[in-house]
Amino acid sequence: MPVSARETSVGECNQPAGLTTDGNQYLTFNLGEEFYGVDILRVREIKGYSTVTKIPHTPPHIKGVLNLRGTIVPIVELRTKFGMPTVEYTAFTVIILVVVRDKVIGLVVDSVSDVLNIDKKDIQPPPQFGSKVNVSFMSGIGKSGEKLVTLLNMEHLLVDGDMAENSVAMGEA
Amino acid sequence: MSNDFAQFQDAFFEEAAEHLAVVEEGLLQLEQHPNDWDLLNKIFRSAHSIKGTAGMFGFSAVAQFTHKMETLLDLLRNGQKAGSPAVTDLLLKSTDCLKTLIESAKTGSGIDEETVQRLTADLAGASTSAAQPAAARGLGGSAGAAQPGCEDRTYAITWTPPDWLFQRGLDPLQIMKELNDLGSLAKVTLNTSRLPDLSDLDPERCYLSWEIQLATGKDHKVIESVFEFVREDSVLKIEEGEALSVKREALESGNEIRFTNDERRAESGEPKPLGEILVETGVVSRETVDHALAQQKRVGQILVEQKAVTPEQLEQALQKQRQQETAVQARKSDATSIRVDTDKIDKLINLVGELVITQSMLSDLGSRFEIQQLPVLLERMAQLERNTREIQERVMGIRMLPIGTAFNRFPRLVRDLSAKAGKKIQLVLSGEETELDKTVIESINDPLTHLVRNSADHGLELPEERLDNNKPEVGTIRLNACHEGGSICITVEDDGRGLNREKIIAKAVKQGLIAEHEKLSDDQIWALIFKPGFSTAEKVTDISGRGVGMDVVKRNIESLGGTISIKTATGQGTTFTLKLPLTLAIIEGMTVRVGKETYIVPLLSILESIQPKLGSVKTVAGRGELINVRGSYLPVIRLYEVFALQPEHTEPTKGILLILETEGERVAIMVDEILGQQQVVIKSMEQNFRKVEGIAGATILGNGTVGLILDVRGLLEIAQREEAVAV
Repeated sequence: MPVSARETSVGECNQPAGLTTDGNQYLTFNLGEEFYGVDILRVREIKGYSTVTKIPHTPPHIKGVLNLRGTIVPIVELRTKFGMPTVEYTAFTVIILVVVRDKVIGLVVDSVSDVLNIDKKDIQPPPQFGSKVNVSFMSGIGKSGEKLVTLLNMEHLLVDGDMAENSVAMGEA
Repeated sequence: MSNDFAQFQDAFFEEAAEHLAVVEEGLLQLEQHPNDWDLLNKIFRSAHSIKGTAGMFGFSAVAQFTHKMETLLDLLRNGQKAGSPAVTDLLLKSTDCLKTLIESAKTGSGIDEETVQRLTADLAGASTSAAQPAAARGLGGSAGAAQPGCEDRTYAITWTPPDWLFQRGLDPLQIMKELNDLGSLAKVTLNTSRLPDLSDLDPERCYLSWEIQLATGKDHKVIESVFEFVREDSVLKIEEGEALSVKREALESGNEIRFTNDERRAESGEPKPLGEILVETGVVSRETVDHALAQQKRVGQILVEQKAVTPEQLEQALQKQRQQETAVQARKSDATSIRVDTDKIDKLINLVGELVITQSMLSDLGSRFEIQQLPVLLERMAQLERNTREIQERVMGIRMLPIGTAFNRFPRLVRDLSAKAGKKIQLVLSGEETELDKTVIESINDPLTHLVRNSADHGLELPEERLDNNKPEVGTIRLNACHEGGSICITVEDDGRGLNREKIIAKAVKQGLIAEHEKLSDDQIWALIFKPGFSTAEKVTDISGRGVGMDVVKRNIESLGGTISIKTATGQGTTFTLKLPLTLAIIEGMTVRVGKETYIVPLLSILESIQPKLGSVKTVAGRGELINVRGSYLPVIRLYEVFALQPEHTEPTKGILLILETEGERVAIMVDEILGQQQVVIKSMEQNFRKVEGIAGATILGNGTVGLILDVRGLLEIAQREEAVAV
């Protein structure tokens, strides 16, 4: 009974020695052609996609829950959360596990890209789109060379809406 | 340092609680066997241990009080005083008092000084009246804590502690403090003459000795007992009288150390009062502060003076405050640690050793694996599985405690109850060694207490009535625990009058719980006493004035995933049977499938599962579905509708209906298929997510994915709400 690696781990994001902790390092990932970034200190690990268990009475972007070495972790599909069209999962589809207010939450993204150093001066406040795009979950827009990286405010993105019980009833209605 | 100390203190409190339990239990047994010498010795030893360790930790109030108890016990032990119900009563009361003293040492809560004083006096009185029948009552009466006026003797104590004093972690300061508690330390002189040069000094050795002048009303023996733990190898001289002053002056090398209030406070790390600080910094003079303090009044007093409240109201409020304090303490004192048999741990270590060996054998095999070795691999995998399962069982076993720890409090309870109600009751315990999860034990304490009180108060008759009915005068309450399959079964049985069918029906009709001529089975009638509100009426089942009904008992038991049932026969008694899961972390579950999803239903809530016949599911108002199961119609909940899933079957006759019961309500839940029965480990959903309606928790299934455990109550609520919306 040879043990096959069912979950191909894309890479463990261990903190390299000498990492600066001033919060200007970001793990970037793709959704389609767009780049997004999360504060690297929030990232617990990155793992390949595996089947999740659906939870009833939750909004559509909560894909379900996953067994992460014995603890139950909710999985959020960022494309659905942002109202983008869903795509087929590929070998590059990964789950980024982030820590938000002591809770571990998984984000399904198309692929991970890079760890970028973005200086404070290269970060602009989030632009105003009016009602077209909700900007409350952005903490800013970062520039790195030619790339434009949307930096995410995890607290706003995940906790405020989805983790509270009463919001669900609204999602259902 | 203070942290280490706190750790030892915790150990002390735990130990003291155990010793107290031994004392209490012993005293109760002593009532039956007044001349059991071994028993007395056992009680004495436990009391002595409390005294010794309490003294060591500086809980002098505890030590002193225990000392009084010990003196009386010693007299009993030596046969100088004969045991009597009054003495046992006094000792039991003292045990209670000691409990509150220890509690106060732990939480810093206030104590009822009056009771302590009174009991101290009683104990001393009981002791001295035996030794010197006529004389010493007066002296005993005032021999409580250090009191002014009885410091009528002066002792000169010369103490040269042994070299190893510091090596064994003993602190001379503690001894000074204890002495100070006995009376007043008039003068403490430190003799440093034996101190060698710094280069020769061994910091772990004690080179010091003390000359202490102590004014106290206590006798020689009491002072000696302070030195109990350092007695060995000490040079100790305790002299009474005047001669000492001469001697003190003769002493040449005098580095004097005086204890003042300030220093002692600084020593123990307590903050100083505001007044002290003001005086120290020179803002005000001490006289001003003292004057101000003298004028200071308590809030209650001020309010009474202003006529805002009457003294009676104040007294009530104060009583309430005391009650709240006690409640807070009770919460604080919940023990969070657990004592484990070394034997259990040794076995666990052996098993871990085996696991390591199996693992290394496997990795050795894996490093150079060839296909013909497959049978070997399979065999080792099986071994690994065996090891893992055994370790799982053992680790769960660590949380298991014998239920005797919960039963132990009942002999005392029943003794007090029988005295209060004027009934003769004997309590028979059995199956105390049955092991049960610690959290379960803690949570069944209250329901069990209620059931026992109930049996004593309402189940058992008065002695005359029993004799009239040809029953033995002494009523019996039996508490039994045993394992039954994967659960534990606890019975509370009495041989009293049994439940009164007519009375219960009359009451239920009056309260509108049932219709006048409704036909009910016996079980259904007995179940009525668990209805909320039922028990608060007349004294059918409730303990008068307790304000806790049988409905609370039932709810508590059900919140643990257990059930409660009643068996009763008029004139012969009542039996309450509690069935509880062995542990809260693992439940027995039925795995079911709906579409592609797998769910787990707690086995305890499943009554039966049926495949309905064509046409047996009826609708009401075109929508609400009911099914006829053995004569009663139950609502049908289609799980796929509630959870918005793609089912395999939408026709009830093709699927399976699980008949579930929760809090007395029954409901049929429709699923596609039953997959099997298995034990599941409950994992928290709230840890990383939140509570989900209709889901009690999650677990990891055999294939590594997450399975959701259904919350039957929640499902019912969702279904009822949707029904309401539809109507």
